[in-house]
Amino acid sequence: MRVSLKWLKELVDIPVPLEELIDRLDMTGTKVETVHVLGERLDGVLIGQVLTKDKHPHADKLSYCTVDIGADEPLKIVCGATNFKAGDKVPVATVGTILTGGVTIKRAKLRGLESQGMMCSARELGVGGDASGLLILPEDAPVGVPFSEWAGLGDTVLELEITPNRPDCLSMVGVAREAGAVFRTAVRTPEWVLTESGSPVGEAVDVQIEDASLCPRYTARVIRGVTIGPSPDWLAERIVASGARPINNVVDVTNYVMFELGQPLHAFDLATIGTAQGRASIAVRTAKPGERLVTLDGQDRELSAETLVIADPCGPVALAGVMGGAATEVSGRTVDILLEAASFDRVSVSRTSRRLGLISEAALRFERGVDPELARRASDRAAALIAEVAGGRVAPGIVDVYPLPAKPIELTLRVDRMNALLGTTLVEEEVRQILSSLGIDVAGEGSVLTCVVPTFRPDLAREIDLYEEVVRIWGMERVASTLPGGRARVGRLTKEQRVHARIGEALRAAGLNEHIGLAFISLTDLERIGWTFGPGEGPVELLNPMSEEQSHLRTTVLPGLLRAVSHNQRHDVPDVHLYEMGTVFKTAEGRKLPRERGVVGGVLAGSWNRPGWNDPAPALDFFDGKGVLETLFDEIDVTNWKMRAAEHPWLQKGRSADVIVAGDVVGWLGEVAPPVLEAYDVSGAVTVFELDVKPLVKAVATDVRYREVPRFPAVKVDVALVVDDSVTAERVGQAIRSAGGPLLESVRLFDVYRDPEGATVRRVREGAKSLAFSLTYRAADRTLTDDEVRSIHERVVRKVCAAVGAEVRS
Amino acid sequence: MGVAEDLSSLRDEALDSVASANDLTALEAVRVAFLGKRGSLTSVLRGLGALAPQDRPVIGQLANQIREELEKAIATRRDELASQALAARLQAESVDVTLPGRKRSPGKQHLIHQIVDEITAVFVGLGYCVAEGPEVELEYYNFTALNHPPEHPARAATDTFYVRDLSDEASNVPGECDVLLRTHTSPVQVRVMERQAPPIYVLVPGKVYRRDVADPSHLPRFTQIEGLVVDEGITFGDLKGTLEHFVREVFGSTRRVRLRPHFFPFTEPSAEVDVSCGICGGEGCRSCGGEGWLEVLGCGMVDPNVFSYVGIDPERYSGFAFGMGAERIAALKYGVPDLRLLVEGDMRFLRQF
Ligand SMILES: [Zn+2]
Repeated sequence: MRVSLKWLKELVDIPVPLEELIDRLDMTGTKVETVHVLGERLDGVLIGQVLTKDKHPHADKLSYCTVDIGADEPLKIVCGATNFKAGDKVPVATVGTILTGGVTIKRAKLRGLESQGMMCSARELGVGGDASGLLILPEDAPVGVPFSEWAGLGDTVLELEITPNRPDCLSMVGVAREAGAVFRTAVRTPEWVLTESGSPVGEAVDVQIEDASLCPRYTARVIRGVTIGPSPDWLAERIVASGARPINNVVDVTNYVMFELGQPLHAFDLATIGTAQGRASIAVRTAKPGERLVTLDGQDRELSAETLVIADPCGPVALAGVMGGAATEVSGRTVDILLEAASFDRVSVSRTSRRLGLISEAALRFERGVDPELARRASDRAAALIAEVAGGRVAPGIVDVYPLPAKPIELTLRVDRMNALLGTTLVEEEVRQILSSLGIDVAGEGSVLTCVVPTFRPDLAREIDLYEEVVRIWGMERVASTLPGGRARVGRLTKEQRVHARIGEALRAAGLNEHIGLAFISLTDLERIGWTFGPGEGPVELLNPMSEEQSHLRTTVLPGLLRAVSHNQRHDVPDVHLYEMGTVFKTAEGRKLPRERGVVGGVLAGSWNRPGWNDPAPALDFFDGKGVLETLFDEIDVTNWKMRAAEHPWLQKGRSADVIVAGDVVGWLGEVAPPVLEAYDVSGAVTVFELDVKPLVKAVATDVRYREVPRFPAVKVDVALVVDDSVTAERVGQAIRSAGGPLLESVRLFDVYRDPEGATVRRVREGAKSLAFSLTYRAADRTLTDDEVRSIHERVVRKVCAAVGAEVRS
Repeated sequence: MGVAEDLSSLRDEALDSVASANDLTALEAVRVAFLGKRGSLTSVLRGLGALAPQDRPVIGQLANQIREELEKAIATRRDELASQALAARLQAESVDVTLPGRKRSPGKQHLIHQIVDEITAVFVGLGYCVAEGPEVELEYYNFTALNHPPEHPARAATDTFYVRDLSDEASNVPGECDVLLRTHTSPVQVRVMERQAPPIYVLVPGKVYRRDVADPSHLPRFTQIEGLVVDEGITFGDLKGTLEHFVREVFGSTRRVRLRPHFFPFTEPSAEVDVSCGICGGEGCRSCGGEGWLEVLGCGMVDPNVFSYVGIDPERYSGFAFGMGAERIAALKYGVPDLRLLVEGDMRFLRQF
């Protein structure tokens, strides 16, 4: 809502400077978004006098003039207008001026002659609607003086953010009322004198409303014998200040009254409205199948059955509350006006306006809600103004079909309850004063007030709504700050939330940085990685995605992680260590809401560091990823886990594993398969993992207990075992542990050896490898003797060899 | 030549040898040569028995003196040599301390989650618990139960992502889908009030979605932090005091707070909350657009209509709710100029915080 300060000051006393006005409006809920100083742009427009006017030698329709603007040399200007002569005073835009609409005046050659400026029309200066020729100024206009200074154009326009609950503030009168309440100053309502003559309106117009709930009120007036033309300057100025474009005197009046009172109006050319029984016949109804309407903007529109229209016997003539029709538009030939002031259903207008993509000032107001009580006053006001600026006679009376009269509602306000909710100590008198200033009638004795809410405040429907009015006008800044007292309460995180935090901490300790990606993917992503679903399951589809690449919700964080690696590589950052904790989605036939799962995923590419003078920085691979997960499990106290070789389409075969926690597969780890890397424009080995969070949380050991710190010395014995390649390290390790018994404290694999390809001297047999373990023996209660250890160790080695087919490497 | 003279020249010879021993091995050889079992001085002492009895005490005393002197000299020389050797080793082992160290950097938490954690800690300190809810929501929880009228513009398919419903259930919104990506964390308010009786003190951080093209100031998915309190006797003053405490904790104790009346469907009265600009302190500067204030969150007293959807008696209980965007706080507090940096996974960005 654009508010001219000049106009506002006619309606209400503003006892403070601009800065304070803005601040008080902000602090009472009418945010001032921007302040425009009008006339500022016209700084380069000076009053000039035409000295000579000659025909342009190369163009019939142009003239070539010299114009005195009070400078040493007159300007030479090429001009297309014809309504002036030598000696006339006109506004001249000098080089560098930016006119309304953003046109910058430049030195330019027009048909071979240089033009050093531009003489302007009223429209070009944004001070009126007339574009037919130059704005000819009075003879006494002082040459060389800035035009805006001479014309007194200086005005300030405040652009206000009006919240959707305040339709009343979409009018000058509403904003004035608000300001009056804020500053406790007098508000002046516009006044007018309406003179009626000729035959009564009822003889000329008939109105029928089909559905009162869609149109609670429709009024029509007739003004006969108008002369259509440009608006007077004062009117055009206000239309411009309010952000509209002057069109003609009648249309400008309807807009003016809308800006002033908040009631959108529409003027029809009465002669174009179809008649029945000698009267223009207006019906407010929904559109019939197949009906169309060419609207004011020239578009031929198909109307849906829910579109509310204004129709004559031949069909629709306007979209109710949204836009008029081209055929019934007020034009230069119009003589008699049919003036509509009505109220329409908010939802109906909003649907039509949105469906057709037509956002108009009228639709905006109807969507928010226009007080039905306004229609008659607005119609009278507009009729009087039309008669004033366009001549014509207002037909006596008004056709006023008002099947659903709006009634003021009555609310009770308990001052004690209000103070209890706000934390204030206001007394009745203050409350009464604030509400009255907003136009609310307050009655009642003591601390229970009876409030009658005017129809222009549909947002005040409950007691609580009145509390808000009181506190916002009284001042939220005056409410004393407190903290809730209440009963004892304890703030804490749940176990799940705490484990969640620890997972992040562990992964960061392992060197991974947290990433948050967008949760969208495309079907192409799923294809690229070869993701599959169970029977009846699938990804979650967006009905209105922003793009094809973001058409579904992610089923895994993998594509997002690979994209991040690609982004880094493209920016010459080869070392990427990321993790993401977030939600993944999938749905299934018959499901309304999808299944949401918390996962933690990670990616490693490049090395931990760039190589340094003391750091060879080997490339990261599967075992770095595994090391990250080992750190994670260690840190969050998950002990019952293992990895098992597994195949997944997105992982490289032979370098991928399932992660098993407490016997269940909870995720996977591996190096990304080369075709997938290529699809995501990623190079080098990339290790990724993804785990479900829920089973991890469940597997976290809750009762970690003290174990005695060893007091007696340990004995370490190394053994290298040669086994078939197919025997996993895990199996040999388990065999050692189970054979070791209570005295075997720990087992550490410290070397894996295979003969190199094509070795001439074999150290281990073909198809086998050597695994070297360091075994630590210790007793909790004594020092083990050499003999004791030797005999245990021999037994362990014998058992393990038998269990996994190993032989001791000599 | 008398024995005494022999001893004296032996002493001189021994002291010379000690002085010229250049390392510990040589010194040990000197010791063995003179004082060892077969050393020269030892032989002299052993040969005392062959002397005339009257000479024995004199020569014996002299030999012992020489032995003590020699032992002392050897010890001194040993200390000297040991400290020389140590000095040499340290010299050999010294490094250029300006060479870079050997390290594996721990990872960084994402800036947005640092902010979420920081704010969570403030409210846990005030006695709040943390609540969560689904990201794909029903229209009922996201809009209806939060008092959004059916024609509310936020429901439009231009603003909100809708999701294909694979069930046979009828939609709650005739002719349109009623499953969507939540546009705020507020539906969790409703879910919490449905399952828990007051007193309620919860903080709800979570991801939310709006149909915006990613640009410097918008992301289609971002992070909100919402708070909800429902208890007996909760006042608007409590809301103000709570938010002032929050702003001081998160933005610093010198920052001021102001509440500007505003409109939200699910709170009444409602307000927007501004924090004084940290750069100009409220005078107005380029970073705050000359206003002196930065809009940080929205808040209000829980609307009685919302209470009626979840069956809480508004005459007995009152409450407040507030919500803010973590990305906006990141932009304000850390000067992040383009929100897209937050979702690209660029290591150079992530490592900064
Ligand atoms: Zn500032």
